[in-house]
Amino acid sequence: MKKIIKITIFLIIFCIIFYSIFEKMWLAPNSISCIYSEPKNSLDVIYIGASNTYAHFNSVLAYNLYGYTTGLVSADAQSFIFAKYLIKESEKYQKPYVYVIDLAQVATNMEDFGDGEIRTTTDVMKFSKNRIDAINDILKYKKDINKEDYINYYFSFLMYHNKWREFNKNNVNINLYKGYLFSDMTIKTEEQEAYTWNENILELQDANKKILLDLINYIKNNNINVIFVVPKRYFIEQNNMEINDAIRIIEENNLKVINCNTIEELNNINFETDLYNYAHINVYGATKYTLWFSKYLKEKYNLPNHKEDLNYLSWNIEYDRFKESFNSKTSKNFDDLLLKYSEK
Amino acid sequence: MSLTSLVFLLFCFITILIYFVIPKKFQWVILLISSIIFLFYDNLHIGTVVQALLILIPSYIIGIQIEKNSNTKKGKVFLIAGILIILAQLFYLKYTNLFLATFNHIFNLFKIDYQFDFVYRNSLIGISYYSLIMISYLVDIYRGTCEAQKNIFKCALFMSYFPILTSGPFIRYGSVGNELYEGHKFNYDRMVRGLVRILWGVFKILVISERLGMFVDSVYGNLELFNFAFTFAAMIAFTLQLYTNFSGSIDIIMGISEIIGIKLPENFNLPFFSKTITEFWRNWHITLGAWLKDYIFYPLLKSDLMQKLNEKSKNKFGKKVGKKIPLYFSMLIMWIIIGAWHGGAYTFIIGSGILQFVYMFLEDTLGPISDKINKKLGIRKDVFSYKLYQVIRTFLLFSFAMIFFRSSSLSDAFDIIKNIFTINLSTLFNKEALLSMISNMGLDIYDFAVLIVSLIILFVMQLLARKRDVREKLLEQNIIFRWGILYILIFTIIIFGCYGAGYDATAFIYRGF
Repeated sequence: MKKIIKITIFLIIFCIIFYSIFEKMWLAPNSISCIYSEPKNSLDVIYIGASNTYAHFNSVLAYNLYGYTTGLVSADAQSFIFAKYLIKESEKYQKPYVYVIDLAQVATNMEDFGDGEIRTTTDVMKFSKNRIDAINDILKYKKDINKEDYINYYFSFLMYHNKWREFNKNNVNINLYKGYLFSDMTIKTEEQEAYTWNENILELQDANKKILLDLINYIKNNNINVIFVVPKRYFIEQNNMEINDAIRIIEENNLKVINCNTIEELNNINFETDLYNYAHINVYGATKYTLWFSKYLKEKYNLPNHKEDLNYLSWNIEYDRFKESFNSKTSKNFDDLLLKYSEK
Repeated sequence: MSLTSLVFLLFCFITILIYFVIPKKFQWVILLISSIIFLFYDNLHIGTVVQALLILIPSYIIGIQIEKNSNTKKGKVFLIAGILIILAQLFYLKYTNLFLATFNHIFNLFKIDYQFDFVYRNSLIGISYYSLIMISYLVDIYRGTCEAQKNIFKCALFMSYFPILTSGPFIRYGSVGNELYEGHKFNYDRMVRGLVRILWGVFKILVISERLGMFVDSVYGNLELFNFAFTFAAMIAFTLQLYTNFSGSIDIIMGISEIIGIKLPENFNLPFFSKTITEFWRNWHITLGAWLKDYIFYPLLKSDLMQKLNEKSKNKFGKKVGKKIPLYFSMLIMWIIIGAWHGGAYTFIIGSGILQFVYMFLEDTLGPISDKINKKLGIRKDVFSYKLYQVIRTFLLFSFAMIFFRSSSLSDAFDIIKNIFTINLSTLFNKEALLSMISNMGLDIYDFAVLIVSLIILFVMQLLARKRDVREKLLEQNIIFRWGILYILIFTIIIFGCYGAGYDATAFIYRGF
């Protein structure tokens, strides 16, 4: 018995040291970390999705306008399959009024997700059942992995243990603008300029449909407030039509979907001036989108205003920091821009 | 399944857990099942199953037949048949290309316009180990030093006991056989000792050997970028890489067996403190040397052929010199076999075979002359400086031979040697050339620092190990110190080990044999 106690204590100390080294110091966090890094139950909205999330919705602007907080639980090309697990994980640390789920990746072929796209989400999640389930779920679609490499997804220290050599380098501030990432560049192509939303429907691929239905069932069974959003951007025709099928399925299940490409109030997002690449709007487009969508969320879900609460001071700081950065980068005044867009 | 992978760790944990949970009389079955899983984990198809059965079934049947016909001619016939069956498969799977290359060279020599294409055969892991183990099993039965195993499954376990399949050591049925089958009780102290040894082995492989490998690969792969000093350093580095990789693997294997309760023979005994090559090989891959002595060298020396040679050479060269000729001849054959065992290529035959023989031959013949010169010059052999010189000389001679072992062809090996001896001191003082070599050496400043510190730790541990059992001393200490050292070791491996993305920390040098 004494020896069993000894082994147990040894293992507990090992786990504590291990956890403090790898979870706290050496993982590569991104905006998904807000689930953990923001104070418990302090996020009012959780916005889940791929890069269209952090590039389109300016969470510090929404806070400045209405005083509610939005966690951008997003990563590059984040697979739609992760939405369910990110909701489950968020529920452990936050109690948001509503989850917003980006639909940009709902039609992406599941076999197209590479190692990087998987890891930017799963490696940031804490070691938990949700993380294991998320990895198990997406790896079902990956046919090209060596069986011994599977283990690297579950134990990400295998990937990051050699980060000790980067100790003297500055870490990225994940708290910057509360996850919002902006670009003031404008890129236009003829293809995008001519783009209009195609209303035709093409059936979702079986795998994607199964994932969507699974998410819908989870949401309904757990009475979770969710709103799906199709971002305003250019889509290739097949994806565009498959997304229409996703919208149909969601609506048939009596859940709310907003297709930003067909919302009249968002017609002010101009593909000639407001895109920074084919799939993302720039800071001007994002400001227009945030002005409209933040108001929509505030009114529909009666979200609280924390602006006078000192516990939320970091949101004010990040908004000021964003404004300063915008003003210096563009030589424009963000308040003027806001006024101009609000008047329109 | 590599010895330092998490899969292997998990595999061993499950095996050991089940082993100690079930009744003693069934424990060997768990070892057998695990060994079969390990054997076929990376390579399960009909061909490899047939390969395993083609060694197991004949060895099992012939073993019983040898025992039944002990001390008869029939028994000898069975023994020869058994050895030939095993060797035929070993040669077919491992040495076909060596023969084809030899024929191609001969054709070239005689300007015959024909070349054989090399063939690539899919052989089971550990074939070089279990083939020799089964040969010793048959010979030992013939010699009457052990009994034939009557249960084919137990025979299969002896042949395929999973820890030893990657890097040895060679086991003998007479000493290990019963331990495999008799079952063991869980023992906490044994487990702790085993784990410490496993950790030390993993440290040697992942922290030291793999880093040295990066440097060695860079130099051997881009020789034109490096000067004599870097090439010389790569020669030294490869010897250390080989040692840390091989002895690290053995530490893991011994640790696992220690936890289970099976005592395996040691394979290393601080070889780099050896003062002669002869002494070095008594301390390096000990079980291979012992195997070859027992089953090749001595039988060969006692054979009718060598006895006749002995008589003839004594008559021709006198008693003193004549008696040495069959000895050297048997040694040469043994060393060629040792070289060939390491791999079916001339680089191995020269590096770990013929050159080693040449060293030993020179030590034996020039030793007395050297002693006389030392005596005349008043050079003392019993002082530290002379012993140090002997140790360094042995290390450098072995390292030089390992150039062949590491090179992919004889011409590559000669290029390395040429580079080492093209001493151009100006390249040492040319800042740009030096920076270029440093940037191409495959290690950054951090890796280099970790490597130097790790090598110092290894050296200190080896020094300590000469006088005491370091593990025993560690486990005698108070719990805070003991656990502190263990945590440092574990986290050093986890943080500074070369594994995961960007590393191929799985290619054990001795695994290919």
